[in-house]
Amino acid sequence: MITRLTGGRVFDPANGARGDVRDVYIDDGRVVVAPAGGRADQSYDLRNRIVMAGALDIHSHVAGGKVNLARLLMTDDHRDTVAARGALTRSGSGLATPSSFVTGYRYIGMGYTAAFEPAMVASNARSTHAEMADLPIIDKGAYVMLGNDEFLLRLLAAGGEQEHVNDYVAWMMRATGALGVKTVNPGGISAFKFNGRTLDVDTPGPHHGVTPRRVIQALSRAVHEVGVPHPLHTHCNNLGVPGNIDTTLATIAAAEGFPIHLTHAQFHSYGDEGDRHFSSAAARLAEAINRTPNVTLDVGQIMFGQTVTASGDTMMQYRNRVFASPDKWILMDIECDGGCGLVPFRYRDKNFVNALQWTIGLELFLLIEDPWRIFLTTDHPNGAPFTAYPTLVRLLMDRDFRNASLKELHPAAQKATTLGSIAREYTLDEIAIMTRAAPARILGLADRGHLGVGAAADITVYEDDADRARMFATPEYVFKDGTEVAHRGSVVAVPQGRTHVVRPDYDRAIERSIKSFFDDHMTLGFDHFPISTQEIADGGGAMAEHPCRARGRA
Amino acid sequence: MSAATARPIACPFCGLVCDDLLIGASGIETRGCAKAAAGFAAPVVARQHRVGGEVTTLDHAVDVAAGILRGARLPLVSGLGVDLAGARSLMALADRCGAVIDRWQSGVQLDLLRVVQRAGALTATFGEVANRADVVLIVGGDPTRAYPRFGARLLANETALYRDGPPSVVHIGPLSDAPAGVPLAAQVPVDTARLLDALRALGALIDGRRAAGGTAPDLPLAPLGDLAGRLNDARYGAIIWDTAMFPPGEGDLCTTMLLRILRSLNRKTRCVGVPLGGSDNGQGVAQVMLWQAGWPSRLSFAQEVPDHDPWRFDAARLLAAGEVDALLWVSALSPAPPPVAIIPTIALVSPATILRTAPAVEIRVGMPGLDHSGTIVRSDTVIAVPLAAARASGLPSAAVVATAILGRLEAAS
Repeated sequence: MITRLTGGRVFDPANGARGDVRDVYIDDGRVVVAPAGGRADQSYDLRNRIVMAGALDIHSHVAGGKVNLARLLMTDDHRDTVAARGALTRSGSGLATPSSFVTGYRYIGMGYTAAFEPAMVASNARSTHAEMADLPIIDKGAYVMLGNDEFLLRLLAAGGEQEHVNDYVAWMMRATGALGVKTVNPGGISAFKFNGRTLDVDTPGPHHGVTPRRVIQALSRAVHEVGVPHPLHTHCNNLGVPGNIDTTLATIAAAEGFPIHLTHAQFHSYGDEGDRHFSSAAARLAEAINRTPNVTLDVGQIMFGQTVTASGDTMMQYRNRVFASPDKWILMDIECDGGCGLVPFRYRDKNFVNALQWTIGLELFLLIEDPWRIFLTTDHPNGAPFTAYPTLVRLLMDRDFRNASLKELHPAAQKATTLGSIAREYTLDEIAIMTRAAPARILGLADRGHLGVGAAADITVYEDDADRARMFATPEYVFKDGTEVAHRGSVVAVPQGRTHVVRPDYDRAIERSIKSFFDDHMTLGFDHFPISTQEIADGGGAMAEHPCRARGRA
Repeated sequence: MSAATARPIACPFCGLVCDDLLIGASGIETRGCAKAAAGFAAPVVARQHRVGGEVTTLDHAVDVAAGILRGARLPLVSGLGVDLAGARSLMALADRCGAVIDRWQSGVQLDLLRVVQRAGALTATFGEVANRADVVLIVGGDPTRAYPRFGARLLANETALYRDGPPSVVHIGPLSDAPAGVPLAAQVPVDTARLLDALRALGALIDGRRAAGGTAPDLPLAPLGDLAGRLNDARYGAIIWDTAMFPPGEGDLCTTMLLRILRSLNRKTRCVGVPLGGSDNGQGVAQVMLWQAGWPSRLSFAQEVPDHDPWRFDAARLLAAGEVDALLWVSALSPAPPPVAIIPTIALVSPATILRTAPAVEIRVGMPGLDHSGTIVRSDTVIAVPLAAARASGLPSAAVVATAILGRLEAAS
């Protein structure tokens, strides 16, 4: 059956369309060439509408043990916000930590057709996939956390070869059904288990004597050499610490030219200047990004209100527990592999630090020039729930709205920021790059994030509205793989999305040392640790495997 | 058993979910665990489905079950000894038919979860304890009763990564509850009734304050002081307890006190709490409820939105008070029969279950890890373990049956 989307203004940056009026044809879930005579079995009149590919959220904590613990902690969130079941939909609850079905429906209602869980603990992979199976409609995938796993740290401490690191990384990605690799406070989560309370890029860790620099070097190179499309997804050391800009810049250097992605960069762009010893270093990071083409980043914008921070970074979450609001927190050491920490936060615009965090995120968005290398995130739920995206888009596209919002902030924060003087307003083309074309490209999803022939027909149709928050909150139509799934925010069909994975090759000789590590030390056996593709499929929904192109040694 | 033909298999019969058992041509090597041996030897006492006591087809039994649920004003889904797939399907069914869903005897787990909801937690998985803990404190009842290989799996790791020898293990609780087969470095004898006070005193001593000995002259202050010193001096301490074995009515308070102790210790060194409580996939079921609805137990869908109340939606209370008018009982991981109820009961039970009275509908479902493959979550909450089919019984899984019932309800609506 051929569907024609007629007469919309198409923003498809990957294929050079910048508001061009044209028809889009869909057949069997894909964008197809116009059939002879433009014949179609059904059509949508999209004159004066704006048409984009479905948006992709490159970093959103939507599934896994840590997210579930956050739900457990956020009792008020689940009492105050409830969603009733419908004829097609399941019930649910929560705003900062929404339950799984509600998460999928809300993303789809906003025109997002994929969200990626960025912090899958390897030993929690099986649970994470089971939970992702209950994220309806949207596509998903996960980045496995490495860099605090004792196997890797011991390998590096023993002076292991890069080839072995590569083989181990590839094995881990297959074993956990991952799309990417993330490192979180490299070496720091392990250090905390040895009672280390801080770790800088060049500090040898307390037990292994391995520096974070060495971990970043080895992992960024491994990810590149085994051919994983997405660069090492990096949560730097010293998250949230005033003056951490030096750590962040050192992290970029540690990648030694290999591709590296800095995640929630807002939390890593702090100076320690001024009376309060807390200042914006966004300009310094932006300047470095603008001249360093191997670096990409997502922002992790904060928005004011109640949320919860959910992180693998136990060292920093322990430190931040004093800011918990309400005053409760969870910390967990996980299986010689990782950890997690949950600390509820209430970001307040009249609080100097929170206000400055808000301006720092926006400064990053506006000072980094290339929209192909910066991604729109709130690090859901850490900076704010993902439902804040439409307002964030308006802040980027509407300078008057931004400056009016700025006037509400703590007066000292207003004085400390240059935000008010920045004239830039994002265009629809740049929004389409930042939320569609660029994330699909950086993740290696060749058939997503664009509307060229052969692309998956994940499509969002907006009514043009000068209030960009309203426009982006409730698209008129959302299509997933060619099926209309949402109309003005209401879910009208509930197909199951795909789980995106890569399965890089490796030399099987590495399995001997991994097996002996499991036999000697681990409480789950080597045979039971890997999750099979069948297990992922049994959860429901299809798996989409993307190619890895192994790259020779640089 | 020949190592060449044997392959490792996971055991679903307690919350440790040991996955180092071996299955081969001659059966299952259960590594000396009587609980596992008994579990894997579960007899097939019945494998036929029944309606009103009469043998029938699965198809007909599913039809009748759907009819009962459709006609009920407030059905109750309980038991819930199921794998992850079973829990996911039963939540879908409960949501669709506006039921209350509560794991049978979830109260013990709730004591722990309520402390987490109110104050938080400081915890670790088994692998951290087995590889790091140099000092281990076991609190209260003997954990080896419910978790037979506790010592072997968590304490006796001969190739631990980050400790030199076995950990110093201290037990606080009644002498009669000393953990069986676990060599102790010290014992702090405290009657169950005084356990909470002893933990309070321990907390004070850890903080360098004086325990209120004047009001508790019977507490063993010297051993408590020694224990406080061990925990303060530990590089990586672990405090382990079986949540089911706290003094009745004091589980919440004991857990809160332990959290306070853990927070205090972590200011200077590392120490983690490891609650054992989650056999029959209790942790996995709680997690599915959390991710699907936002609450870990005692959940009602009667108002079309998830609603949690630890008192109102307690399965045992609802049954006793006559507030529900149909019961869907699901027990696939253990042979637990449904409680005797006067309301129409649909029983999805294992082939080992002995039913003394015939429920309205009896459907025999396979046991995960025995009759069919599946996944359950260990008591330490992070690790989901794949289970294999150890025998070929041909019985349907609870997930398949629940999904079939849901299908009938949706087809009729």
